[in-house]
Amino acid sequence: MNLKAIAITLGIGAALAANAAEPIRIGLSGPFTGGSSPMGVSMRDGVKLAAAEINAKGGVLGRPIQLIERDDEAKNERGIQITQELINKEKVVAAMGFINSGVSLAAQRFYQEAKIPVINNVATASAITRQFVPPEHGDNYVFRTSANDTLQSAMIVEEAIVRRKFTKVAILADSTNYGQLGREDLEKALEKKGIKPVAEEKFNIKDVDMTPQLLKAKQAGAQVILTYGIGPELAQIANGMEKLGWKVPMIGSWTLSMANFIDNAGKNSEGALMPQTFIQEGNTPRRKSFIEAYQKAYKVDRIPSPVSAAQGYDSMYLLAAAIKQAGTTDGPKVREALENLKEKLDGVVKTYDRPYSHDDHEAIKLGDAVMGTVKTGHVVHAL
Amino acid sequence: MDIFLQLAVSGIALGMIYAVIAFGYQLTFATSGTLNFGQGEALMLGALVGLSLAGNVLGGPYLNYWLMIPIVMVFGALQGMVVEWIGVRPGIKTRSEFGWIMSTIALAIIFKNTAENIWGKDDLPFPSPLPEAPFQILGANVQPMQVAVVVGALLMMLAVELFNRKSIYGKAVVATSNDRDAAGLVGINTGRVISFSYALSSMTAACAGVLVAPLTLTGPTMGSALGLKAFAVAIIGGLTSGLGAIIGGLILGVAETFTGFYVSTGYKEVPGLLLLLLVLTLKPAGLFGKTAIKKV
Repeated sequence: MNLKAIAITLGIGAALAANAAEPIRIGLSGPFTGGSSPMGVSMRDGVKLAAAEINAKGGVLGRPIQLIERDDEAKNERGIQITQELINKEKVVAAMGFINSGVSLAAQRFYQEAKIPVINNVATASAITRQFVPPEHGDNYVFRTSANDTLQSAMIVEEAIVRRKFTKVAILADSTNYGQLGREDLEKALEKKGIKPVAEEKFNIKDVDMTPQLLKAKQAGAQVILTYGIGPELAQIANGMEKLGWKVPMIGSWTLSMANFIDNAGKNSEGALMPQTFIQEGNTPRRKSFIEAYQKAYKVDRIPSPVSAAQGYDSMYLLAAAIKQAGTTDGPKVREALENLKEKLDGVVKTYDRPYSHDDHEAIKLGDAVMGTVKTGHVVHAL
Repeated sequence: MDIFLQLAVSGIALGMIYAVIAFGYQLTFATSGTLNFGQGEALMLGALVGLSLAGNVLGGPYLNYWLMIPIVMVFGALQGMVVEWIGVRPGIKTRSEFGWIMSTIALAIIFKNTAENIWGKDDLPFPSPLPEAPFQILGANVQPMQVAVVVGALLMMLAVELFNRKSIYGKAVVATSNDRDAAGLVGINTGRVISFSYALSSMTAACAGVLVAPLTLTGPTMGSALGLKAFAVAIIGGLTSGLGAIIGGLILGVAETFTGFYVSTGYKEVPGLLLLLLVLTLKPAGLFGKTAIKKV
């Protein structure tokens, strides 16, 4: 055997080895800057933590996971742009992310068209998993690991009407897709209990004065304010109530747990109630080790958005389990594996025992989420 | 009645925020015929610098709230001079009609991006120097900070007006705004007057920033929305009238809160903008503006 032959053999060997260890490229997108960034950053860090753990144990199918991160800035047009980039340029085989429902509804169609499974791990609009329902759209490639708005609205209404016996409720929702779709879900949930809100008010992102909205609610005799918005404006509502010297409980979607609500509203955030899939209290060994690992890896005490971090973490494990079961990164096969997941997965939000089926792409069911409340600047279990 | 008063109070507080920014637009327009489209960003920078000194974002607090204000004003004045020097002076020199529009907008974007890099993109709470609990005036709840904004804004405008009317330097400013070329001929250094008016304009904006920040939230994006609304106010009130800024601000602020309550919160910005269109059609110089005849 001459030198040339040896070189060729070595070359092929190296190529084969490289192929065997070629990373599995997975897209990861969300708003890592701006008003939604506490959710986006926590989600990203949760996913990265899970990916690092999986890679430390040898990866999936003998290949390491490589995350391709992109910032969608919570903008629909930017979401579309980076989704196309992830699919066409970065050639991802699956994706996770989407914090803002509007971005998800605008951009996830490209994953659907490319037959690439995507897990929405934070976005909550009810329409997200129903955007491409079979049979008219073929198979659905959109999955979710967050509590959808139908479920959250039901919990909010249950808390306000059944547990706390309020009869006069006001709804304050922002003018984005998220707020307005959530408002519709709240109305439907209230209707089931035979209640019509006494006031329904809108506000814009960046509004600095909530007086008219709050006065209308006050004037209508509201005993409680149900909210659908994001951190900074929710803080303006809480601070606005103090301005008016009028204080009623705030019960709203899970965004009331965002750090930028709690920090900007300060003491006015105390007692706000919201549905949570995960609360930063290590009440099981699995959760405890997750919280400690997160704190250690990112050097923080309080996770900016624990819900996003936990859901992101679990979504990575679900995807890895599906790829392992499928034995390939082929989109349709991974989708089938997700819909028929055999491994019972011990996650931090819950234990996933067949989380999805062909027609049900929601991992979080009623009963998986609990009510949380703000107490001395932290979210804790509500009593 | 309570509701009516409460809406009026909130509207006035909101309107004075707009008015004081609009006032900044007028200061530079009067002397140089140019505007700083980064007025909102000057306000934002003032608020963030103030927060860094009096809050704990950059390792502080270093100073208490009231001691911090003069430093923020000096910072604002310097920032205004930079804008004039880079963005406006070259345009005036070459008699370019519109060069300053693009350059002040470009500077505004640069300021915003710089602020995002220093302070991050998130909104931050500004600790209120006054108690946050409201007190009652005729049944309407008023926060001490809201009063501070109204009083502070009025004082600031009054100080500038007094300066213009009573001091010899102020007379130079007035002369320049009346007729720049004639003022130049009688020996007034109009270039310096224009620099000064930019310094004054950004100084009021920076000061307004630390005044309003405890009521709004503080962050790199706080200025854009406010700056735009204040521009509408400046147009409604007239770009040449200080009184116009106050009245215009009050009209817009009160229209917003009243429409929000009596019509719908979804439409609260519509009446103010309709008024803007109406003013532009019927009285293009603004409600209190002097109608200028442009000779060809």
